Amino acid sequence: MEKLASAKTCLKLLQVMPGVQQAALLPGGGLGVLASPLQNLIQMQQVRHRQTKHWKPEFKRLRKLKFVKMDLPNLREKQEDITKEEMRSRMKERGVLPPRPWMERPFHISCTGGIFEAYVPPEGDGKKSIISTSGAKQKLEFLEKKSKSLMAVRKIRSYDENFSSDDFGAEAQDIYIQAHTHMAAKDKYKIREFVSERCYPEMMHNVKDKTIRWKFLQSLEPPRVVHARVTEVITKENQFAQVTVRFHSQQMLAIYDRFGRLMHGSEIITKDVLEYVVFEKHISNEYGKWRLHDKIIPDWLPAKQPAPITYRLIEDAEEPPKELSAGDAEVKQVDSVGEQSKEQLPLATPVESHTKPSLAI
Amino acid sequence: MHKVIRQMSQLRLQAPQGAALLRSADSSSISPAISPVSPPALQSKSLHTAASAGMLCAKWNKYNYGPRKWLEYNKTVHPPQETDEEPRNAYVCHMRSNIKYSPDKMWYIAAFVRGMSVDEALKQLNFVLKKGATDVKETILEAQQIAVERHNVEYKSNLWIAESFVGKGRVFKGVRRHARGRFGKVEYKHCHYFVRLEEGEPPQHYYQEPQTPEQQYESWMEQMRSRKIINSL
Repeated sequence: MEKLASAKTCLKLLQVMPGVQQAALLPGGGLGVLASPLQNLIQMQQVRHRQTKHWKPEFKRLRKLKFVKMDLPNLREKQEDITKEEMRSRMKERGVLPPRPWMERPFHISCTGGIFEAYVPPEGDGKKSIISTSGAKQKLEFLEKKSKSLMAVRKIRSYDENFSSDDFGAEAQDIYIQAHTHMAAKDKYKIREFVSERCYPEMMHNVKDKTIRWKFLQSLEPPRVVHARVTEVITKENQFAQVTVRFHSQQMLAIYDRFGRLMHGSEIITKDVLEYVVFEKHISNEYGKWRLHDKIIPDWLPAKQPAPITYRLIEDAEEPPKELSAGDAEVKQVDSVGEQSKEQLPLATPVESHTKPSLAI
Repeated sequence: MHKVIRQMSQLRLQAPQGAALLRSADSSSISPAISPVSPPALQSKSLHTAASAGMLCAKWNKYNYGPRKWLEYNKTVHPPQETDEEPRNAYVCHMRSNIKYSPDKMWYIAAFVRGMSVDEALKQLNFVLKKGATDVKETILEAQQIAVERHNVEYKSNLWIAESFVGKGRVFKGVRRHARGRFGKVEYKHCHYFVRLEEGEPPQHYYQEPQTPEQQYESWMEQMRSRKIINSL
């Protein structure tokens, strides 16, 4: 009880201090008359005694002794605030054995953790004509890069007889449409068939607390396989294949927040979207499927339109988290994918072959 | 549990009797009276530690999640609105559980800030001379931050306190010694504080609007005309 009383007194003093500051801020010359009653009020408050004062103070100590002391647990303490020694002594007190230091968990690697040897889209793709000099250069570079992809395609075909890079575009587009449709519908069980485990948390996190209206209107160009790579994970027989498909399509996207207010996009305006989507398959697995794995955002792509909401730019962080939360799902995915690709570029450049990407475990 | 409490109180009450005997024998001198008091205190402290640990272990090991339904309102996703409709105001539910404070005293603070704008409430809580005001202020600040970061609220000053109420938390029972071998119960109470912030301006009258004299007269007349007169025709 005495601790509580002292705490109350401290709280009263702390709460009275802002009043003192207000009195100090007043200009002394003109408002000197007003300052004195404020000071009187402050003094009156400071002189005030606590409400639990007893009428017979000489027996305060004996009244305290009447209480049987018990150790009240602090129900608001956090686990990270407790030190190791404190936790150890508590477990000893309660007779609790420490947990096992090792954890035996089975690993199941069903997809890789990123893109290995990411495709670098040529600048101005989809806009420049073949007749111009830069367009012609792009064609030449394209022919140079094609040989490695051809070898990868041959490797994929050795595992999957039906695979054809010409026919895979249509199949990939179907997977793409299904994935985005189930993302908009928040169908978290069906989306697993079309999205790899690495891509799943990013998509579902974008969808949280939002309503998304997404529609695939038409394809402006037929989808085309632009890149293919095969790598093994841990053992030689455990092969994963990644294929990058270029989509140029017309889409409609509208994102509403938790309260049904439009955050981004529109249900009326359509947008032309140029995307480089990476699909992955565990080709060693007999029942493996091609699933949407990641997106490649080229550096030359124009910046996305920001959300109309007003947000505060936090200067400490590299990018403001408010902007991420305010933006649309595509922008979020775009930004996160951009970060991932930036992180992987230094990894990809020193080692060309035998690259083992980080595992999504 | 009650048997343990009685045994503890009996053990402790025997020691003061011994001290009283010593005081009656040596009423003139003061120093001998002080020294016999400390050994019983040590014994009582060592005694109640094991007992209180035994009592509290059962309490600690029970599942105590606190209220969980209030924060579920934050997961409601409303359907999209048409462009011509009035935009729906955002709201955020937040709570702080198991505050070491009496719910009866916390109610005054919760009722005080009800219906205020957030900025006004934070200003006023600086001058509320109650221990629970600090927790209420921190909870409102947390709710304000969550609203801006996660629930698409544009301006954090454009919020008002739509709901503010208190729930009872855990109560630990203690013991206080009384005369003649009796004991009293001490309750160490906890409370939960719940708040819901809504976007927009606070309403002019949060509770029932005060009636003008004409409105009071009309309602009185309506009541008079509609009353039942017993023992009439």
